[in-house]
Amino acid sequence: MRQGIRETNSHFTGHVNWRLWLMRILALAGMGVSAYLTWAHLAHQSVACGQSQDCDMVQQSVYSEVGGIPVALLGLMAYTALFALTLLRGRVAEHLDNYIPLAVFGISLIGVLYSAYLTYLEVFVIYAICRWCVSSALIITAIFLLSLPDLKAEADVS
Amino acid sequence: MATKKRRRPSRAKRGGISTTHILIVAGAAILVFGMLVVLNANRSQSSVSDVSYETGITSDGEPYKGSPDAPIQVVEYSDFLCGHCGDFADALHALGPDYIETGKVQVVFSNYAFLAPESIQAAQAAECALDQGADKFWLYHDLLFANRGTGLTAYSKPRLNTYAREIGLDTRAFNDCLDSGKKLAEVESDRAEGQSQGVESTPTWFLNEQMIRGALPQSDLRQIFEVQLSQGS
Repeated sequence: MRQGIRETNSHFTGHVNWRLWLMRILALAGMGVSAYLTWAHLAHQSVACGQSQDCDMVQQSVYSEVGGIPVALLGLMAYTALFALTLLRGRVAEHLDNYIPLAVFGISLIGVLYSAYLTYLEVFVIYAICRWCVSSALIITAIFLLSLPDLKAEADVS
Repeated sequence: MATKKRRRPSRAKRGGISTTHILIVAGAAILVFGMLVVLNANRSQSSVSDVSYETGITSDGEPYKGSPDAPIQVVEYSDFLCGHCGDFADALHALGPDYIETGKVQVVFSNYAFLAPESIQAAQAAECALDQGADKFWLYHDLLFANRGTGLTAYSKPRLNTYAREIGLDTRAFNDCLDSGKKLAEVESDRAEGQSQGVESTPTWFLNEQMIRGALPQSDLRQIFEVQLSQGS
């Protein structure tokens, strides 16, 4: 069984460990971006966007909330969960650890789909591109892609 | 000696993940995404997309609500940043079902934007809304006043665009109009017109051509309307 654990976890303890670290860093960056946007939204503050007002147009649009909750806050919750999960990977009991890649995959998939929808709204409906939102879309997409090898390895091992 | 082959523990026993698990999670993720989109789309639909009174544009190009044949005409000069103008608009709005919708009072709106650059910005935005219909103007007018308490950012360009979307305007046309600044001359000419009639502050309004300065509470306005109606104006 110990051998099994090592096999199972080898993909993040060996040379591909960088993927997990990169996901943690990206999740932290995503937390930073979404925390800033959440604060700006709730405090009715203008978002730093160079000379452009595009970020505010997106941030203050009717699409910036879902059921009264700021989209940025949902993003912050998702990134926090992803950061916590990637931090816990390899540090919890095996039966729980095995499901972490699945959870990361699920949360980041929701993020990728919703980011794609928001980007569509920015381009075709709001007519303004928020660079912070695009950054977040790129971050979540990277996390999603990085989660796939771990998910595949976990599925292959069992 | 026969060697006993040790079977690897099954996936379920080891608590590992399978393709089925992945498919279920992917399906759930798509479901959550769909719910978020539906919730978001519902929020973005206009809750104020229609008016219950007659609207139109006077021969001078000013928006009105209520019948042009109404015995009472109120011509108001307002600044969207002015608190008392908002109170006055609220009072008129509250009296709408009794006087405007029944054809007794016609309200004509004229910009008198002078308080701050944001006033002029909001006035231009309202003129851009008017380009898409007098009913849209009044919806926009109500939204502007409803948001006046949220500070100067209430009339920042992003917020003005948001209001446009909320009442179902063609936002591209609205943005183009606002960005072009083509309504500035109209806003300035409205103010000059007001000055020529003696308007110096807001709100100033004309009750059948009689000038009245300042807002009145709803009860006083009702009383004035009743007196006017009883005199058969």
